[in-house]
Amino acid sequence: MRKDHDLRELLKGYAFLAPVCALLLAFVFVPVAGTLLDSVHRDVTFLPRRFIGLGNYRSMGSDPGFWQSLRFTGLFTLVSVPLELALGLAFALFLEHPSSARGFLRAGVLLPWAIPAAVSGRIFELIYNVQYGLANALVTGIGLSEGPVHWLGTSAGAFLALVAADAWKTTPFVAILLLAGLSAIPEDLYRQAEVDRAGPLQRFFRVTLPLLRPVFVVALLFRTIDSLRVFDLVFVLTGGGPGGSTTSLSMYGYRFFVGGDFGYGSAVSVVLFVLAFLFSLLYLRASRFGREIA
Amino acid sequence: MSEERRIRILYTVGAAAMTAFCLLPVAYMVLVAASRRPDIFSAGAEVRLTAGHFLDVLGTGSLHFPEYVVNGIAISGLSAILAVVLAAPAAYAVTRLDLPGRMSFLFLVLAVSMFPPVSLVSYLFRMMSALGWINTYAALVLPYTAWVLPLSLWILASHFSRIPRDLDRAALLDGCGRLAALRKVMVPVAAPGILSTAILAFIFAFNEFLFALLLTTGRNARTIPVGIALFEGLHGEIPWGMIMAAATLAVVPVVLLVLVFQRGIVAGLTRGAVRE
Repeated sequence: MRKDHDLRELLKGYAFLAPVCALLLAFVFVPVAGTLLDSVHRDVTFLPRRFIGLGNYRSMGSDPGFWQSLRFTGLFTLVSVPLELALGLAFALFLEHPSSARGFLRAGVLLPWAIPAAVSGRIFELIYNVQYGLANALVTGIGLSEGPVHWLGTSAGAFLALVAADAWKTTPFVAILLLAGLSAIPEDLYRQAEVDRAGPLQRFFRVTLPLLRPVFVVALLFRTIDSLRVFDLVFVLTGGGPGGSTTSLSMYGYRFFVGGDFGYGSAVSVVLFVLAFLFSLLYLRASRFGREIA
Repeated sequence: MSEERRIRILYTVGAAAMTAFCLLPVAYMVLVAASRRPDIFSAGAEVRLTAGHFLDVLGTGSLHFPEYVVNGIAISGLSAILAVVLAAPAAYAVTRLDLPGRMSFLFLVLAVSMFPPVSLVSYLFRMMSALGWINTYAALVLPYTAWVLPLSLWILASHFSRIPRDLDRAALLDGCGRLAALRKVMVPVAAPGILSTAILAFIFAFNEFLFALLLTTGRNARTIPVGIALFEGLHGEIPWGMIMAAATLAVVPVVLLVLVFQRGIVAGLTRGAVRE
C-alpha cells in the first residue's frame, strides 16, 4: 500500500518534468539526431538519399573551404574571447565601483547585449563604410591613415572588423558575469588586506583576481562556446567574405543547407557540435554544476 | 590618500570610456536615421535632421516593416510565456521533489543550451516544411520555446531554491496539492524572478536570427533581425538612413525592457550562467 503511494507520488513528480522533456525532445534532441543521421548520408536535393558512412567526413578532409572556416572560427575565438574577457573585467570593475550613476552605467552597458546581433551587424557595416563610415572618419581624423581604409575589403580588415563588432556586442555579458563574481567577494578580505597595508594594486592581484577565478573560467568557457558557433554577425557584416576568409563553421554548414546539400552541411554542423560539446563538458565541471540547487 | 584620489580619477575616466564605447554605435545609428544624409562625419558635411526615414520605413507598405515588428513581439512574447509556464513546474519538481535522476535531467537541459543552432536548423526546416508550417508563428514559437527553456528552468530553479521550504510545506499540510502549492505559494513569492525570467526569454527569442532566417519566407512570420539583415536598397545605393531608422525602431522594445528591468536582467543573466 505504502509502496504504491510512493510510486504514484514519483510519477506525479515526473509529470512536472514531462512538458519540458517533450518539447526539448521534439525540437532539440530529435533534430540533432536527425542531423547526425543526415551526416552519414549523401543527401542532396533531387538525388536519391544514400547511406555513405563517413563519406562526408572524409570529403571534409580534402575540402579547403572546410579547413578555411575551421581556421577562421578557431582564430576568431582565440582573439575575440581573451579580448572580451580583459575588457569585461575592466567594465566589471567600473560597474562595481560605488557611483551615483551606477544604474545608468549598468543600463548603458546592457544595451549592446540587448540589441540583436543582426542589427548591430548592420550598424557596424555602416561604421566600416569606406566613403562615410565612422571608423574611417576617426582613423583619418586622428591621422592614422591618409586615405580611407577598405575595412571589409581585405581579409585582415574584415577579421578585425568582426572582432571589434563582436567585442562591442558581447563584452557587456562578460562584464555582468564578472560583476556578480566581484560582488560575491567578502568585504572583510579587502579590509584585512588594507590592515596588512596592501596597496590597491596588491589588493587587486592578491584578493580580487584569485577569488574571481571560478567566475572567470565560467565566463571564458561560456564565451568560447558562443564564439565557436558565431553566425549572425558574420552573415550580416561580412557575409563570410572577402573570398570566404571570414566564413565561420556555422556559416559554412548553412551554405550547404541553402544549396540543398543536407548531408555535407550536416557533417560540418556535427563537427561544430562536437567542438562545442567538448567545451560544454569543461563548463559543466567548472560551474560546479547544480551545487546550489541540489 | 593621493593614491586613493588617483584611483578615483581612473575609475571615473574608465567609466566614461566604457559608456562611450557602449553607446557610441547606438547614438550613431539614431543620428544617421535622423539625418538627411549618412555622411554625417565626413569633412564639411552639414547635418540636417529629418523624420523622413522613420516615416518612410513605417509608411512604405512593400517593406512590411511594421509587420516584422508585430511578428517579433508576438512570437517572442508567446515563446517567453510558454517557456515560463512549462519551466515553472519543472523547476518546482527539481528543487522540491526528491526525484531520482533529477540531476541527469538538469544536465540534459543544460547541454541543450550549448548546442550550436546550425546543428538543428536543417532538420527543423524539413520538419516544418513537412508540416506545412514554414512561415507561420508556430514554426518559430515552438523551437524558440525549446531554445529558451533551459535558461528559464535554471533561473526559476535558482529563485525557487531560495524560498524557505516551510512556506510551501505549510501549504501542503493545509491540504493543497503540489500544483496548488506551486501556484499559490511559489509563483507569488517568486513573481519578480519569474517576470525577469520571462523578459530574458523574450529578449533571446526577439534577437534570434538563424531559425528565423530559414523558417520564414515573408511578412507573415518574418521577424525584425531577419527583416533588417535582408533590407537592401531598391536602386543600387544602400539606403542607410532607412536601414538605421528601421534598426532604431526595431530595438525600441528591447531597449525599453533593459531600461525598466535592468536589475532583474542582470540578476537573471548571472543566475542562468553562474549560479553563485
